[in-house]
Amino acid sequence: MSIEVNNIHFSYGKVKALSGVDLSLEESSIGLLGPNGAGKSTLLRILLGFLTPDAGEGKVLGYDIKEQQSLIRRYVGYMPEDDCFIPGMDAVTFTSYLGELSGMPRQEAMKRAHEVLYYVGLEEGRYRLLETYSVGMKQRLKLAQTLVHDPKLLFLDEPTSSLDPQGRKEILELIKDISSKRDIQVFISSHILPDIEAVCSHVVIMNKGQIAAQGEISKLKELKYRLYEIKLKGEALGFLQRLKKMGCRVEETEDMIRKVYVRPDKNPQEIFRIAAEEKIQIRHFVKSQSTLEDLFAKVVGVD
Amino acid sequence: MTIKEKGYSHWEGELAEKRFPWWPITRFGIRSTFRKKFFKIFFFGSLIPAVVFLVGIYISERLEDFRSMIRQPGDFLTVDPGYFKSYFCGDFLLFMMVMILVFCGAGLISDDLKHNSLQLYFSRPLKKNQYFLGKASVVFFFLFMVTLVPGLVFFIMKLIFAGSLKFFVTYPWLPLSIIGYSFLVTLFFALYTLFLSSLSKNRRYVSILIFAVYIFSDIIFGIFYEIFRNQYFALISLKVNLKQLGAFIFNQKLPYSIPWIYSLLIIFSLSLLAAIYLRKKVKEVTIVK
Repeated sequence: MSIEVNNIHFSYGKVKALSGVDLSLEESSIGLLGPNGAGKSTLLRILLGFLTPDAGEGKVLGYDIKEQQSLIRRYVGYMPEDDCFIPGMDAVTFTSYLGELSGMPRQEAMKRAHEVLYYVGLEEGRYRLLETYSVGMKQRLKLAQTLVHDPKLLFLDEPTSSLDPQGRKEILELIKDISSKRDIQVFISSHILPDIEAVCSHVVIMNKGQIAAQGEISKLKELKYRLYEIKLKGEALGFLQRLKKMGCRVEETEDMIRKVYVRPDKNPQEIFRIAAEEKIQIRHFVKSQSTLEDLFAKVVGVD
Repeated sequence: MTIKEKGYSHWEGELAEKRFPWWPITRFGIRSTFRKKFFKIFFFGSLIPAVVFLVGIYISERLEDFRSMIRQPGDFLTVDPGYFKSYFCGDFLLFMMVMILVFCGAGLISDDLKHNSLQLYFSRPLKKNQYFLGKASVVFFFLFMVTLVPGLVFFIMKLIFAGSLKFFVTYPWLPLSIIGYSFLVTLFFALYTLFLSSLSKNRRYVSILIFAVYIFSDIIFGIFYEIFRNQYFALISLKVNLKQLGAFIFNQKLPYSIPWIYSLLIIFSLSLLAAIYLRKKVKEVTIVK
């Protein structure tokens, strides 16, 4: 298990940030989701060894999160969300410098810096001062510094934030390639759910300091319902109430399409029967794929 | 096949705990300081007193050769602990040390705050104390080059020029004084610089602060002294406090009739406050927002 934590509790004074978090992860790519204040950052801080939990225990890459925090940081790579660099350096110096701080010999760090800069696509600009880099280049550079010491576990915090669609696609491809290696795990915290869906096989959803859901994305999305998108004409109030009584969850989207989650023991034809009884016209009826956004909304309890 | 086409590849080496994990920080700090415009002029300019004092040591041992050029009767150049104190506590050297701090120290923490680099440092197996040590060592390097190194060179050259150990036998404690004062002044200036550097994200403001605090503390002392004629106002001045301690360490008459311990307490308190503030200001935990 690369990450294993049991019954983790943590409070900032009187504010409880984590209460009873249990995680056991060994999958190659894991997404961490949750609304603001859900406890994601606190969990990351504990996993990186910056905070010691009030209660509970755990290990990251086999190192104790309370006793061996420095060792954890030696073998993990962290890509911060913020724009961050060290002024006065070019990309090669910057990357090898951080490799050295991770414990690499100087010459090796320099050699490896060239390799990872080629890998992330910064071979052309690797001798340019970082102050002159564009946002996209800085994002790639952050990924390069995360990889330079060949970590076994990567923590990527919003890796595609502020990137254009092409840049985002390329970064996601790199992350996919990295996570395809069996001996590297990628742990991504992001608000861009399609990114998580594109890259991760597993997801951890946090809410109010607890794990609200975790598991394989495809299995979690199957859940216990089928999803239909419908468009109605007529007074829909009674119809919707009867659907809810039937055990369906209904969500309204901005373009007046309603998403109806039907339990598997219910026949979708019931929807048409109720519509006929309520004298409602169904103008549009499509079986839809539930997305990670649907899952997130359901688990966290927001629309 | 290019690296990109080949995909991600592993590094074959082994990560190891280093004896001095802060050394890359110091090395980069020293190199980037030397790259700054005009720094070399200031740095080599600050070595002028060292050259002059070294020539003085040579002349003091060859007085007979120079006697024809000297009109003044008696010993006009005596190399003793007072001579060393004159070098270490000279206004010019202290001023040049402050100028060196402006060049090498202003951006040490302020640049990291401005560019969010703290998270890059602390996501590595680097402790907060090691980070500070790496930064402070940049200041140590440059200040030792104008204090400790010339001081020890003076002492050794004095013995070489004299061709005997008489000077060492007479003042066996002098090397310790040189080392002690060099460490004291360097440690104080390192904490002073790091503290001011952590106050702002703008290195220009920090440069002004480093210079202004040193100069204005002396000006304020001057103003108060002119008004009240009380020597205790000398304790306001950083320069005077360092001179008082220098005089004490080199076993010389204190420039002001104030107990040296007061100056020590002030320098120690300022250093302690700076260290406490730095520990609070730079927090490892803030790297994950």
